[in-house]
Amino acid sequence: MVNTQKIQEILMNSIFEVFEKMFFVFLEPVDEDVKYDLISTINFMGPINGEVKIFFTMGIAETMVQNMLSLNRKDVTEKIIEDCAKEAVNMISGNFLQKLDSSKVFDLSIPTYAKKAGVFTSQVQNQSGAIWNLSFESEGNLMAVSVSIPAEGQ
Amino acid sequence: MSFNVLIVDDSISMRAVIKKIVTISGFQMDSCLEAGNGREAMELLATNWVDVIISDINMPEVNGLELLDQLKKNDTLKEIPVIMITTEGSSERMEEAFGRGAKGFIKKPFLPEEIKKVLYQVIGVGENGEYAEDTRNTDELDF
Repeated sequence: MVNTQKIQEILMNSIFEVFEKMFFVFLEPVDEDVKYDLISTINFMGPINGEVKIFFTMGIAETMVQNMLSLNRKDVTEKIIEDCAKEAVNMISGNFLQKLDSSKVFDLSIPTYAKKAGVFTSQVQNQSGAIWNLSFESEGNLMAVSVSIPAEGQ
Repeated sequence: MSFNVLIVDDSISMRAVIKKIVTISGFQMDSCLEAGNGREAMELLATNWVDVIISDINMPEVNGLELLDQLKKNDTLKEIPVIMITTEGSSERMEEAFGRGAKGFIKKPFLPEEIKKVLYQVIGVGENGEYAEDTRNTDELDF
């Protein structure tokens, strides 16, 4: 298994690739808390099990939808935002796992979405497993991604 | 000659993007049907003929691999070429999809050119409408 630093690098590249290719959003890593409005989540099961979460501000979610579907802001509905948010977490997890080890098969759950505000802080640690927390900025909008892998048996 | 296409994906945004890419690629499309999962796809196929299916794998109810199995069992539908377009890009998953009858495989995230290339290869026509000899997408098999 690759080391923690390498996993973070793979995760970062997976996130960049998905956002640039599919949403035409160019992200810059930042070291700050994210006041998010929406969360999309997916679980993966395979040689290792875990969870990927994306914490979106409404601004970045709207930009993604506009870019992906060539829509005006007034035409962006909550249903489409939910759809894109779920597709984003699906693509990031699939891309990440494939880059991590393309010889292994992982099953992905159906993504979920919640309109739930909160503050994401990259300092949160997983007491009983591994966690990678990354924050990003694009044109003044913030978002964050968290990947957690619980300790075996949990 | 124009073709009927069925796009199967539980994401309405992804279906819209794929449809847009196929349209702007210049592919001669007569109609484009959409389904949110394999069950909806089979319902559409009961009353509509399509020339190619572009399908996601990870979908609720009936997923893309199960859709391949259902198509294979149906004498009328088993010859329809299916292109899988999915986040699940492990080599084993690709082999599984090809083994169950898929003719092409595209990994998400994708570039528009990748969809265009695989679609033309699988359907067996060149960009100018001429028929190609080899319709199998072998590029993705080199893993």
